Amino acid sequence: MGSAIGSSLSWLLRLRAAGAEGHWRRFRGVGLARGFLHPSATVEDAAQRRQVAHFTFQPDPEPREYGQTQKMNLFQSVTSALDNSLAKDPTAVIFGEDVAFGGVFRCTVGLRDKYGKDRVFNTPLCEQGIVGFGIGIAVTGATAIAEIQFADYIFPAFDQIVNEAAKYRYRSGDLFNCGSLTIRSPWGCVGHGALYHSQSPEAFFAHCPGIKVVIPRSPFQAKGLLLSCIEDKNPCIFFEPKILYRAAAEQVPIEPYNIPLSQAEVIQEGSDVTLVAWGTQVHVIREVASMAKEKLGVSCEIIDLRTIIPWDVDTVCKSVIKTGRLLISHEAPLTGGFASEISSTVQEECFLNLEAPISRVCGYDTPFPHIFEPFYIPDKWKCYDALRKMINY
Amino acid sequence: MRKMLAAVSRVLSGASQKPASRVLVASRNFANDATFEIKKCDLHRLEEGPPVTTVLTREDGLRYYRMMQTVRRMELKADQLYKQKIIRGFCHLCDGQEACCVGLEAGINPTDHLITAYRAHGFTFTRGLSVREILAELTGRKGGCAKGKGGSMHMYAKNFYGGNGIVGAQVPLGAGIALACKYNGKDEVCLTLYGDGAANQGQIFEAYNMAALWKLPCIFICENNRYGMGTSVERAAASTDYYKRGDFIPGLRVDGMDILCVREATRFAAAYCRSGKGPILMELQTYRYHGHSMSDPGVSYRTREEIQEVRSKSDPIMLLKDRMVNSNLASVEELKEIDVEVRKEIEDAAQFATADPEPPLEELGYHIYSSDPPFEVRGANQWIKFKSVS
Repeated sequence: MGSAIGSSLSWLLRLRAAGAEGHWRRFRGVGLARGFLHPSATVEDAAQRRQVAHFTFQPDPEPREYGQTQKMNLFQSVTSALDNSLAKDPTAVIFGEDVAFGGVFRCTVGLRDKYGKDRVFNTPLCEQGIVGFGIGIAVTGATAIAEIQFADYIFPAFDQIVNEAAKYRYRSGDLFNCGSLTIRSPWGCVGHGALYHSQSPEAFFAHCPGIKVVIPRSPFQAKGLLLSCIEDKNPCIFFEPKILYRAAAEQVPIEPYNIPLSQAEVIQEGSDVTLVAWGTQVHVIREVASMAKEKLGVSCEIIDLRTIIPWDVDTVCKSVIKTGRLLISHEAPLTGGFASEISSTVQEECFLNLEAPISRVCGYDTPFPHIFEPFYIPDKWKCYDALRKMINY
Repeated sequence: MRKMLAAVSRVLSGASQKPASRVLVASRNFANDATFEIKKCDLHRLEEGPPVTTVLTREDGLRYYRMMQTVRRMELKADQLYKQKIIRGFCHLCDGQEACCVGLEAGINPTDHLITAYRAHGFTFTRGLSVREILAELTGRKGGCAKGKGGSMHMYAKNFYGGNGIVGAQVPLGAGIALACKYNGKDEVCLTLYGDGAANQGQIFEAYNMAALWKLPCIFICENNRYGMGTSVERAAASTDYYKRGDFIPGLRVDGMDILCVREATRFAAAYCRSGKGPILMELQTYRYHGHSMSDPGVSYRTREEIQEVRSKSDPIMLLKDRMVNSNLASVEELKEIDVEVRKEIEDAAQFATADPEPPLEELGYHIYSSDPPFEVRGANQWIKFKSVS
């Protein structure tokens, strides 16, 4: 990515030098492409360059209010949350493909030894069966924690989630519910995942009243949010950004603690523009905010949405009323992505407060590409550009 | 297939350019064909199975040997390139399972159809693509068979429908292709492959029902390599008799490490389907030497001794070679020569795959829809748009 960044930096400088907004149209990403694609470097260099992630994980300060903390990365914080759940709740069971030995991302390491094979067990390869089975367990009152190995594979289970899990309470007039079901799944781009190991399907589920969709940005958030999802009396889908499993490490409390659902968090206060994202993208926009501060003198307010549905409209709208500008960013494709819902609601609520059109920096409307991934994802340069346009509107 | 025949004929005609004495020795000493006994298949709802003896001609034997050796070398080269990080993403190798892809191809016609899951490099080759195109697709270059946009799991060729990443999703597709075969009335069959892990997916049983109900010429083939990723068949399936899982669909269990067994079983199954009796199920008992994918060492759920045992006792290439040499169908030197040629071919292909340029950035937006005027693909920001051209 080094030469890509170099070429895009020079491209951006050319942009600023060009002065009036009209001139940018000449530079339609050509510089970016040329810098990256021309095989001027050796094969080893090219391979090394692609190792660099498009974000830098920024840990939160050590939380003091929950007792003793330990350095954990994302998968360890998930293990810790599951450990706490199984200890507290004797009806809790964890199941999914390959969870017994610890899971393909090590999220369930040690749990089978600790709690027994009746409580942590493998299922065969059948997502629809896994979720349906989980709904059944949850309806009887036991706590079911199902794992779908990759979010890309959740679609065979889509019918069970949307038609059964989400509607159980509604259709039975509150006689029955599967609220103690939680579905965990690795989510988002990972650098080499291609079409079927990189998807972000939160928008499909956002369209379904009756379930909650939660996406953490860091190990501390993950443990608290996961524990809240498990204890929440509604079926929840918990997407874990897989690129952060090892990349994100920070101090996480050992004891259980809850982070409330449906509450967005203002990570950084600001006055000129609001940036909203979730999951990995939060770290990208954090960097964009510091770039904006440094180069444009713009003060950004950063919001991590955390819960996708039901989402925290108040926090986002309050922020937009203050700043007047909104940029939303996610990896999923633009059309029909969750940014469109946020954008639509915000313009309804805060129309007269807006100084510029709401900007959405998202993935392209294509399947998640294999070789083109670095160009597909909404990286910090694309977000920075959109922000600049908004400021100069 | 045609390319292979051309290659083999080149080899065999090349032999005639050697010194006359060697030619005389060569043509005098080899038998034209030999009869072999093969293992009897277990049957489900079938009165008779495939024959227990088969005739292998010298020409066929050399062809199969060359194809299997090419697949083996290609997979090993892919392994090497992956470790050098020239291939990235996911890479599922089928070395150890060569008898399946070559044997199946030997039992059907090029006009028949085949669809499989993600362990598809061998099938891509046997269905007619060159090693160059396959390796270039793995490295994501524009010389690849899917123009570099598909990668390991999405390779396609004529009458070969991929290459599918989602487990089990290809089986209903295969039933649909079989319907088209029946509808077109050209006496074609469709081979629909899936693995032992996928055998527990719901949509497989939906496909069984439809195929049997409408008597579709579909050969369901379960490539049972004993492990679904890291889960052994005993831990995943209530019944590991995968050939019986079709219930009302007749089935046979085949030794998937013996290419002749696979060929005979495929011929039998294809004849069954072509006669209009409906679908049939084949379980190929085979083994993979590598792990599930390149990120799986392959030894945490099975012992190295087990892998070694299969390699030494049932390796498909070794079995064919021993048979051919012992029945005087070919000499060890001749087969070694084939090895050398294959190695060279793979080296050249790897060179090409490494040096070929990547697809141009504009192609990011191509082929989303089939659309007459190209439309612009919306995305990350409003000023960089890609055209979607089909």
